[in-house]
Amino acid sequence: MSNPARTARSKGRWWHIGVTSVVLAVLIIPLLATFLFSISTVWQNTILPDGLTLEWYGRLFSDERFLYAIGRSFLVSAVTVVISLAIMVPAIFVVVLYFPGLEKMLQSVVLLPFALPGVVTAVGLIKIYSSGPIAISGTIWILIGAYFIVIMPYVYQSTRNSLRSIHAAQLMEAAEVLGAGKVKAFVFVILPNIMPGMMVASLLSFSILFSEFVLANMLVGGSYEVVQVYLHRMLATDGHMSSAIVFTFFVIISLLFALVLRIGRGKSRKMNATSATPADNEGGVTA
Amino acid sequence: MSFVEISNVVKTYHQVRVLDRVSLSIEKGEFITLLGPSGCGKSTLLRAIAGLNPIDEGRIMVGGRDITHLPPKKRDVGMVFQSYALFPNMTVFENIAFGLKMEKLDKKEIRRAVSEMISLIELEGKENHYPHELSGGQQQRVALARSLVKEPTVLLLDEPLSALDAQIRRTLRNEIRTIQKRLNMTTIFVTHDQEEALAVSDRIYVMNHGTIEQHGTPQEIYTSPRSEFVANFIGNYNVWSREQLLHKPIRGIPDRGELFAVRPEAIHISTEPDRTGAQQGIVAEGFISMATVLGNIMRYEIDVQGLQVTVDTLHRPSVEGLTPGAPVYLFVPESEWKCIERSI
Repeated sequence: MSNPARTARSKGRWWHIGVTSVVLAVLIIPLLATFLFSISTVWQNTILPDGLTLEWYGRLFSDERFLYAIGRSFLVSAVTVVISLAIMVPAIFVVVLYFPGLEKMLQSVVLLPFALPGVVTAVGLIKIYSSGPIAISGTIWILIGAYFIVIMPYVYQSTRNSLRSIHAAQLMEAAEVLGAGKVKAFVFVILPNIMPGMMVASLLSFSILFSEFVLANMLVGGSYEVVQVYLHRMLATDGHMSSAIVFTFFVIISLLFALVLRIGRGKSRKMNATSATPADNEGGVTA
Repeated sequence: MSFVEISNVVKTYHQVRVLDRVSLSIEKGEFITLLGPSGCGKSTLLRAIAGLNPIDEGRIMVGGRDITHLPPKKRDVGMVFQSYALFPNMTVFENIAFGLKMEKLDKKEIRRAVSEMISLIELEGKENHYPHELSGGQQQRVALARSLVKEPTVLLLDEPLSALDAQIRRTLRNEIRTIQKRLNMTTIFVTHDQEEALAVSDRIYVMNHGTIEQHGTPQEIYTSPRSEFVANFIGNYNVWSREQLLHKPIRGIPDRGELFAVRPEAIHISTEPDRTGAQQGIVAEGFISMATVLGNIMRYEIDVQGLQVTVDTLHRPSVEGLTPGAPVYLFVPESEWKCIERSI
């Protein structure tokens, strides 16, 4: 005789597995197809490719233009993230802990990029920076400036959540009573404890910037060709090469994610359950 | 001049005076408690001593040094927080060593001092554990050791036991007292728990609305409350006004005073009029409206013609006839009948 409770449970389990499989399939099939296309000789009128080859990857990695584009993307994303952390983290720390009245204002400012479409931002920036005292239009600097604004919400939300979850104000007070000045307390106590949150913010920001196209294309375009602009140009000429670029891009981002999550997990394991963990921050960065 | 002198301290938040000309003095090695309900200003005063809350007026002197306007790091005080505030990224050893590292002490010296502290708080073997791997009681001991290792001039304890359960709380408060006595550490303890305050303090300062209502030894505070607030806060005192006592079957009420307080355990209760005692005092008649078992104490609510009187006796099996509805006689020795001031 079958147990009705067990039958219901097993039904629920199958339903769960079914839904998960469908979602995974939706996510993975396009990626697999892209990968397959990037290693196929010809794939036009058949269900499966005619043959397999690594020729596209060979061509891609021997193309100097692609390597430079990847390098530029890395450089511009990394420099922006570093500048953003160096400016935003201390600023958010000071506002959250010592000037909570200003937090509302800071929040409105950092959320502005969500309200402005990329095209509008780009046109405005070009107008301001193409002439006058700061004529940086078409250079890497205008891109870094624009990217700084793009990632502000992510850095803000993640840092603020981390500060809240570690009860930063009280840790600062404890450190100060123990003889540390404000700067030392920040460096030795606050910074190591919000590091997992900052790691997540950096990764998220980096991957957003690495995949950014609108601003890069409008602000610098061909004069400072990043990987997304290169990919866009390639799309019009060669499908196999574009697939190879997309897949390479996916692998790079995946590796970065894996690396930073590992660092984040290692740190958070050592810390108090109430301190910032990547999971805590992931929820918050969507702002 | 006392070791710690706090004179006329004023602190205002959003036009509300949270500390209103507070003055107190503490001798070296003394354990004093700031006792009061939430919002009475006790934690604000403690934080002002630590330098975490700047004050508007007044002066704070410790060991003959004026520390009123010094930053926290230069005050040479230790503080234990209610939520421990241990550094999550550091081990027990690193947490305790933090203050000494800030003083740039020699590594060997740090190791020696920290090891000594770890053995004092009996956490040997836990040096390399992180705070989240410790129980609440252990975390609080680490917080205590972290403050003590710097040998501060004054130790400030901000409700350090309130996050712990009752059993650990009692053990830890005795441990804190033992360590404090051994190190002869001048200590200011903040709590809202009167039992805790009475159990550990040399002297208690009872605070209300940003002022000191009364101060004295636990014995003085408990047996001779000066105001309605202290009587209500410190125990289960019966507090009556003269009007309330008018036209009741009560004899011997003193002529002076408008408000009176009597400890429940100072009232003799008997089913017979001549068994209430032979001394001079106040005698009342009523009946038991409720009897409650509180472990080793029996609590009786006596109705004296509408006036409620609480009486506590030891829970002895030999007492007979003290059941709800029984007529009883109450006797209060004159020395236990306290005239108190009305509180605002």
